[in-house]
Amino acid sequence: MSETTDTGGTRAQGAREGRMSGLSKEKIGGILARQGILVAFVLFMVGFALANQRFIAPDNVLGVIRSSAILGVMALGVTFVVISGNLDLSVGSMMSFSTIVVLDLHDQIGPALAIPAMFGLTLLIGAVIGFLVGYLRLNSLIVTLGMLSAIHGLTLTWSGGQNMDIADKEGTWFSVFGQGSVLGIPVPILIFAGLAVVLGLILAKTPFGRKVYAVGGNGVAATFSGVRRARVVFMCYLASSFCVATAGLIQASRSLGSQNTVGQGMELEVLAAVILGGASLLGGSGTIFKTVIGVLILGFIKNGLLLVGLQFYVQYTVTWVIIILAVWLDIAAKRGRLWSPIA
Amino acid sequence: MTLRKTFAATTAAAALVCAGAAGAETMRIGITQNNVGVDSYQTTYEKAFIAAAEANPDVEVVVLDAGGDVARQIAQMEDLIQQEVDAIIIWPTNGEAVIPAVRKASQADIPVIVTNSNIAEAGFDFVASFSGPDNITQGSRSAEIMCDRFKALGIENEARVVQISGQPGYTTAIERAKGFEDRLPEVCPNVTLVETQPGDWNREKSQQVMEAFLVKYDDIDGVYAGDDNMGVGALNAAKAAGRAGDITFVGATNFAVGYEAMAAGEYWGSIYQSPVDDAEAALQTAIDVLNDEDVPFLNYFDTPKITQDNMGEFTKPVF
Repeated sequence: MSETTDTGGTRAQGAREGRMSGLSKEKIGGILARQGILVAFVLFMVGFALANQRFIAPDNVLGVIRSSAILGVMALGVTFVVISGNLDLSVGSMMSFSTIVVLDLHDQIGPALAIPAMFGLTLLIGAVIGFLVGYLRLNSLIVTLGMLSAIHGLTLTWSGGQNMDIADKEGTWFSVFGQGSVLGIPVPILIFAGLAVVLGLILAKTPFGRKVYAVGGNGVAATFSGVRRARVVFMCYLASSFCVATAGLIQASRSLGSQNTVGQGMELEVLAAVILGGASLLGGSGTIFKTVIGVLILGFIKNGLLLVGLQFYVQYTVTWVIIILAVWLDIAAKRGRLWSPIA
Repeated sequence: MTLRKTFAATTAAAALVCAGAAGAETMRIGITQNNVGVDSYQTTYEKAFIAAAEANPDVEVVVLDAGGDVARQIAQMEDLIQQEVDAIIIWPTNGEAVIPAVRKASQADIPVIVTNSNIAEAGFDFVASFSGPDNITQGSRSAEIMCDRFKALGIENEARVVQISGQPGYTTAIERAKGFEDRLPEVCPNVTLVETQPGDWNREKSQQVMEAFLVKYDDIDGVYAGDDNMGVGALNAAKAAGRAGDITFVGATNFAVGYEAMAAGEYWGSIYQSPVDDAEAALQTAIDVLNDEDVPFLNYFDTPKITQDNMGEFTKPVF
């Protein structure tokens, strides 16, 4: 579906540009149209690198990607949900839950059992949301907005409102997921990259992936074509909660302790990254690769503004000015001109 | 409107029943808290407050929580006024927005005691007393701890410090930063504060900020964090970069994690602020106001310095 949408855009724009000029411009236009967000990303990177050379130092780049991995892993799952035509606003609150649960269980039953137990509980919550949205066909905005609060309550009940900390911070192998590295590459990056490849392949190359696009693109048509829509939506939420559990694992392992509100507000950042990557809120389009670019843009903007040393009151505003600029660049590239009265 | 009236009537009826049961001499004190459960400090505060009230036979308390929501807190103030409690303790969710509700209570002749974080100055006329920590003093004391440590290390003439502050706009964050920034040049004039960025009271956020600082500055000798939660986040970042040994970490509001890091010799010092003291001071202030005792308008409870040197005198915080 995404392929179709993209080609459609390119064709329309190609025709427009063809009338105006020659073939080479058309080619450049085509590339821009497909990868507008990538171009925006490169532009920001160059801009920040000029402002502070340390921005592109390998240490910093690895550091930023590692920090972004938590948000990124969550965004991978939400990409599935968004492409299937739904929303997931509960991921931040669910991530707090996973983090608190795995930290608490770590000291009670040991890490080897705590991790699968936490994954099980988080998937259970995902299944509940999937059931409500997929099978009962409730509005995903309301369901996940409600779950945002409900899960927060669950987390507070579990922890009794207390911060959760691992007692023996030095002597546990649990820290490997957040603090370890293999061949100089931090483990969170490896998890993020590995998951992105696997989920990217599922979405792009398997029948299930095509069903996700079909359900999001036109649910009714998909149903009449024999796609079991409820099941596809259910599986998308399950995938999302799996990603959230993974993010919670990285988060818990990174700081070996946590507040109850650790994921608070992340649902909007995740959604921003997914939409920045070009997925449509209406469903039916988007790719894992572009979500990854969206995540990296958010991560590097945050880091870049810190390194430039902008006063922090200004940072909030500048961050969103840059994000909106990026979205504009993406859209402008797709339609081949900076502004258009007919969208 | 009808719903509100029904609700008020029910609560008032319930209050009458309670008052009848409690006897004539009992002081009825209502409290509306900021956001219990959002962090361990507030959770411990609530427990301590209830425990202190139960230990005092002359006091009966109505304990409410605004869940961080200004509108809900204002509604709770109105409920407490309706219930005709003898005094109201408020932990403001927002120092400006609650002023009208506080004024209303004051006009109903119910003394209002503000706890933990003060309301804006415009509302001072309607407040009987503020009970809480002196955050400016806390910031100054952190500066002194930092400076004393630099002198002990012999780097008081060249040390460079970064600051990770609390949530922007939050009074506690602003006051601590002000206290620190004003006091540091007085005690250690040659120490430079190179940059301040907010960590939003969040360990993970603070860790990210510190990572950026470590990339940006090759030479950092001290980190001042607005609370220990953020301080430990900064410590984690420095440890990962292998630079923790060169840096003096000073925080505020000593948390259990900060206390442990001090015991491990990785974290230098903090300010000991007990939520139990905070809660007990608030209740005592309310009782003193009701007994017509002379209570200072700003009724601070003491928050002493704690460092690796004297931590033995303090018990590990429960939060």
